[in-house]
Amino acid sequence: MGVIEEVFSIDLPVGEQFRIQRCRYIPQSGETLKRISIVSGIHGDELEGQYVCFLLGEWLRANPEKIKATIDIYPAINSLGIDSITRSVPFYDVDLNRIFPGSKNDFLPAQIADGVVNAMKGSEIAIDIHSSNIFLREIPQVRIAKSQAKTLVPLANKLNIDFVWVHDAVTVLESTFAHAMNMHGTKTLVVEMGVGMRLSKAYGHQLLDGILNLLAEEGFLDIEPLDVRKPIQSEIGEVAYLNASYPGLFVPAIEHCQMIHKGDVVGHIVDPLSGQMLDEVIAPIGGILFTLRAYPIVYEGSLVGRIFGENG
Amino acid sequence: MKRLEILNFKSPNRAPLKVEGFLFGEESKGPSLAIVGAMSGDHINQLYVASRLVEYLRQKEKEGKVIGKILVVPAVNTYALNMGETFWPLDKTDINMMFPGYHLGETTQRIAAKLFESLQGYDYGIILEGRRDQGMCLPYVKLIQSDYEDLDSARDLGMRFIHHRRYSPIETVMLQYNWQLWETKALSVVFGKNGSIDPISSKEVHGSLVRFMSKRGMLDIPVFEGFSSNVIEPDHITVLKASHAGIFEPLVSCGTTIEKGGTLGYIFDALSGEKVEKIVTPISGVLTCQYSYPLIFQNSIAFRIASIE
Repeated sequence: MGVIEEVFSIDLPVGEQFRIQRCRYIPQSGETLKRISIVSGIHGDELEGQYVCFLLGEWLRANPEKIKATIDIYPAINSLGIDSITRSVPFYDVDLNRIFPGSKNDFLPAQIADGVVNAMKGSEIAIDIHSSNIFLREIPQVRIAKSQAKTLVPLANKLNIDFVWVHDAVTVLESTFAHAMNMHGTKTLVVEMGVGMRLSKAYGHQLLDGILNLLAEEGFLDIEPLDVRKPIQSEIGEVAYLNASYPGLFVPAIEHCQMIHKGDVVGHIVDPLSGQMLDEVIAPIGGILFTLRAYPIVYEGSLVGRIFGENG
Repeated sequence: MKRLEILNFKSPNRAPLKVEGFLFGEESKGPSLAIVGAMSGDHINQLYVASRLVEYLRQKEKEGKVIGKILVVPAVNTYALNMGETFWPLDKTDINMMFPGYHLGETTQRIAAKLFESLQGYDYGIILEGRRDQGMCLPYVKLIQSDYEDLDSARDLGMRFIHHRRYSPIETVMLQYNWQLWETKALSVVFGKNGSIDPISSKEVHGSLVRFMSKRGMLDIPVFEGFSSNVIEPDHITVLKASHAGIFEPLVSCGTTIEKGGTLGYIFDALSGEKVEKIVTPISGVLTCQYSYPLIFQNSIAFRIASIE
């Protein structure tokens, strides 16, 4: 049985606390310094990680004798946002994942970020589970800055995900939870999967298997490693972005996560007022459609899909 | 005056987003300045100052007093202004986090790219900014250290304080940083309280902008000297936090000179009415910012004090 602990609390103005809780599972022989943190809900509209946290907690409750090191589960970092369908920190309208490492001497979102870092500092590994946003549906993937690839890609390959996307370092991403934790020596993986405000049960179970495998391979669980899928690596190909050329209603023509050919129709942008079709969104390359728009209203520039195609 | 359409961006169902600029004077006659107003929907004070400045410059141009080239863009995110939103209404992204922009990117990247294109080539750039928190502040100059910033021109605003500090990672995608990198002497004037208009701050900022244009050779009018600006670095700011949450009652206002030991405000329990905190300043100085919402969170920053001790 895990122990529920409050790791950060601030009084709200009228008879309530903003709090961050974790459920800590330790070996039957006692707490260890070796520790992993499973994190979700930095964005309040992303709920896929909540389901994974539940599944993992359920598994650990049923198998306490298998636990070899401390496993912390933080399902709801932006708890105020999660309970109010708000991506950012309510009241301040600030994206919590652009304010790390935070500060004790700044406004509330920065203090929350500081509290999160302090609670998890010392973890050997952290897994930060995101759900894209309400606009896009993603296959289970891990995103890694190029500077961290050597350390993190081998770890990501254990997570039973479909895609490992190594991207160029961007200065603004130095404000993320993952960057802050990596700077503290905690190997932190960012998982993106599913879509905001919804649950994708199959993805949840897929990632649970991956986390159990990683926990086994990294010495947190006394179980045999699982047989996990080998993710596609972004280095072997290219990512093509499909942005809307017209504003309107995007109607997908194919399902998410399909293999498509160059020239295939991914969807249409239509005008409900005039009844006209405004544009056909065509695949510029062949490959896997790993991102597909879930929210139909688009402006010019709105991302409607991403395709990963292998070179050659 | 020329009224320019900087961008015209179609919407699925709303009328198109139009961003307009007002251009005064001619480049060949003197230096050039671009001023950008409300990039967020709650920057109403910034919209107000920018639009009043347009009216002022229209008069001065008629009088033949404009000797440089001046562009004023009063509002960028009109969609948000028109519906009480802060950010881009569909995806809640902040246009001022999208610079230098990308013509083939996401919607707000494209808006930022188009705006940025229209701001190129100016000698000076001033961004009218609001705050990121629930505070209000004495108008001040925010000048980030990108190695391209220009402290001398910032002083010509004659504002009381120039906050000069190193940029944070998120500021690398903001207009000021990118504008500086593209060789415009850019700075921000931060003032007011988001979502409202403060007439006193507005007049002060208007006066500073006119002073700047006069001193930098864009307006041929005499002006009074402003403050000899104090350049403040982060070490000079003392932060007073609320130890308790509740109803916040400040006793002082921004700009007040305060003495060590003075009482700056109280916090009352929001349900029982009990006085739970008296906020006392541990230092003398000038109150530059204060929390401006009646309900306060525990550990929120209630006051910021600039001092030279």
